[in-house]
Amino acid sequence: MTALLTGTGLYRSYGPTPALRGLDISVAAGEIVAVTGPSGCGKSTLLHCLAGILRTDAGEVRYRDQDIGLWSEAARSRLRRTDFGVLFQFGQLVPELTAAENVALPLLLAGSGRREARKSATLWLGRFGVGDLADQLPGAMSGGQQQRCAVARALVTEPRVLFADEPTGALDVLTGEQVLTEIVHVAREQGTSVVLVTHEPRIAAYADREVALRDGVLDPTGLGLGLGA
Amino acid sequence: MKPATLVRLAAGGGRTDALRMAFTAASAVLAAVVLLAAATVGAVPELGDPGDGSAAWNTRYSSPLIAEPGLRPGVVMTLLLLAVPVLFLAGQSIRFGSPARDRRLAALRLAGATPGQAVLLAAAETATAALLGSLLGTGVFLALRVLLDHPEADGRRPLPTDVLPGIAAFVLVLLLVPVLAGLIGAFLLRRVIITPLGVVRRTRSRKPRLWPGVLILAGVFVPFVIRPLGEFLAHAGGSTGRDLSIAGAFVVVLLAVVGVVVGTGWISYTGGRLLHRFGRRPAVLLAGRHLMADPWNGSRTLSALLAALVIGAGVLGYRAYMVTQFAASDAADRLSADGGEGYGAENSFYLNSVDLVRVAVAVGVVVAAAGIMVALAEGIVTRRRTYAALVAAGVPRRVLGESLAWQTLTPLVPAVLVALTVGLSLVRGVAQEATAGGGGTCDGTEAQCADLTSPYWHLSPEVTLAVPVPLGQLAVLGGAALLVMLLVVGVGLIFLRRSTDLDELRIA
Amino acid sequence: MGGVSTSHVLLGLLCAGPQHGYELKKAHDERLPRAKPLAFGQVYATLGRLERDGLVAQTGQDREGGPDRTSYALTDAGRQRLDEWLAAVEPPAPYVSSTLFAKVVVSLLASGAAAATDYLIAQRAAHVARLRELTAVKTARDASAGDVVAADYAIAHLDADLRWLQTTLARVTDLHQEVIT
Repeated sequence: MTALLTGTGLYRSYGPTPALRGLDISVAAGEIVAVTGPSGCGKSTLLHCLAGILRTDAGEVRYRDQDIGLWSEAARSRLRRTDFGVLFQFGQLVPELTAAENVALPLLLAGSGRREARKSATLWLGRFGVGDLADQLPGAMSGGQQQRCAVARALVTEPRVLFADEPTGALDVLTGEQVLTEIVHVAREQGTSVVLVTHEPRIAAYADREVALRDGVLDPTGLGLGLGA
Repeated sequence: MKPATLVRLAAGGGRTDALRMAFTAASAVLAAVVLLAAATVGAVPELGDPGDGSAAWNTRYSSPLIAEPGLRPGVVMTLLLLAVPVLFLAGQSIRFGSPARDRRLAALRLAGATPGQAVLLAAAETATAALLGSLLGTGVFLALRVLLDHPEADGRRPLPTDVLPGIAAFVLVLLLVPVLAGLIGAFLLRRVIITPLGVVRRTRSRKPRLWPGVLILAGVFVPFVIRPLGEFLAHAGGSTGRDLSIAGAFVVVLLAVVGVVVGTGWISYTGGRLLHRFGRRPAVLLAGRHLMADPWNGSRTLSALLAALVIGAGVLGYRAYMVTQFAASDAADRLSADGGEGYGAENSFYLNSVDLVRVAVAVGVVVAAAGIMVALAEGIVTRRRTYAALVAAGVPRRVLGESLAWQTLTPLVPAVLVALTVGLSLVRGVAQEATAGGGGTCDGTEAQCADLTSPYWHLSPEVTLAVPVPLGQLAVLGGAALLVMLLVVGVGLIFLRRSTDLDELRIA
Repeated sequence: MGGVSTSHVLLGLLCAGPQHGYELKKAHDERLPRAKPLAFGQVYATLGRLERDGLVAQTGQDREGGPDRTSYALTDAGRQRLDEWLAAVEPPAPYVSSTLFAKVVVSLLASGAAAATDYLIAQRAAHVARLRELTAVKTARDASAGDVVAADYAIAHLDADLRWLQTTLARVTDLHQEVIT
């Protein structure tokens, strides 16, 4: 397998505190990679850098052999919209838009017609078991239902890479497992790569491979020594 | 709770809290300046009985508004009225970012604070900011006094920059502004129950009612039917009918004013529905849904803006009427044989007085716009996580900015047009033409004068001029309001830029 | 977990109706997919014991397929024994008797903190690999509910072990001090 997405010598700091201190990582097409480590180890920062949300201070992020760090904000925005899907722990749905409108949003931005976008949105909502909630506002849904909508929105554009930052962090165990299983199924079917950030071994086990981080660098022991769990 | 603890807890908070305190302080500055200005005009020394006419004028001032004792209370009133939009601004500022603040208060409740202490804390925070603001405002006022002190060649001043209000007035302002702010702060918490486990907010989630919309539509269309209706009634019922139609029109227009001011929620909601129904672009969809979901956000300040515009349009209409009236008098004077001077000389004075109100309206518009800006900024800051997540997902900031502009301007444009129309109708419902002259004198004996057609009668010709619609000035007023709102949107975009900084994703 | 009582499981499987030894073995491996498969010898030995105690009874012999085709059915006494077992609450972890735990302590005594740490790291890697294997079984498209429930059970235990491994690593030095004094 050749690498679809690679990060080489990634360095990124917030003010004086470095979050990433020279880190290498690669993700193959269709591969599910878990990024683990204790809180504060830099795993979210790594996800943001790989997804082109944040620029690195040093090092390069290559996607399909292009250094996206050199791209403009607009170009990276477009890339995130077309090739990447992004999923956070919570709070990503627009509260005033219905579930279907939230999911349709990326398609509308890509220039789809309203009816067509709604059709795909409903389809994807159905795929994640929340098809009957298409016309509900996020506020009227449970956390699990909201997260299912968020997954549908992240996948509706059929991205090549899905970036998921603690996607089950706000869910109960069973709901979290269901959501993850659904993500894995879709990723396997469509050959989507997944970068899955989590601090839980149980969640990381959904990946093909685990990359452990400690203090902004790779941790070969995977144990997050000294920082506890 | 010791006062020191109270202050430390009240002043401690995040960036949003700092912004709220800054906005609150800024509105306190405005309030202090306006109130002190009013006190200054009130403190201009009386030189005699106001009934003495020009003998009692304080000739140290070139502006008759300040010099004439009979006019000064009007100026003071105008200044005090200006405090009303400032109050709206203050209310909006105090509410800025309050959900986060209320959660902080809930955490304090969990740590053992009583409900009273929580409210006290919120009020203390507001009052502290307002006290700082009114101190600063006093400084600004004193600085303005010096800066604006330009005696003319004859030693007279245009403004009373040489008098100071009494110490009592200063103390009153310094106390009144923080106390009022604290009370507003506590009042705004009335819908919020802060429990140790979180905040229960009794929100206005109902959809806006229809009746303000009906009032607005009536206000817009009634002016078109006033005249035909009046003519019909005058034909049918004589002068009583005509008076009735004028009174009826006046009442309808007044109701429309109420509709505009109360109906901002309806305007926002309806605008949102139309955007959602007919919009194609994602930005329009976002804006439409936002307006539908929260039509009340900033509705009070929008009301203040519209009220200022209604008054402004009314003043413009009244000014047009006055100008026409003067023109009619002049024409009548010229036509009549005795050729008196009429009111011509004093015309500019009356127009100046009206213009002062115009300045007040302009200030009111700006202050109300500042309130809308605060409401807009608040909306952005509370939703920053969602915005940041959208940007992370590749939604261009441009789309978010566009939706912000749609969401602000959609209710505004029709509301401004309606407010201007209604304000103008208010005046035109009463006077559409100005008449001067007429009447006459008779220099014959009583018997000779009994016959109106006798040559002893010198009849002045009657001049009637139609009052023109001051379209140009209205356009300037409306345009200026829109321009100010565009500025507001611009500031909103800056907030948006800062709030979609992707570091926000780190704040859970 | 102490050994699962094979006799009680067989009693339970016989609730579905009379079966002979081979059928019982197949049913056992199917219903408890992640458990250690039963040996034939164990099935027959257990059935013999159950018959001796009057908990099962022979219902007939089927000579078609070969010699050992005796069918067994549950007796009333057997049903009663099964119900008693099902209703009895298992004592929650009465003794800490994990090999993992014993190994860490002994390794600290015998070879010092570095060896114990190495062992913990290696053990963690093995646990993680197994966890991933079981998760893959669970997320397979054709996974049955039985597969998922069985995998869940193992995953929960592995997860608990992993947490313990992780915290113990942080405490290895303290534990070492305690053990050697």
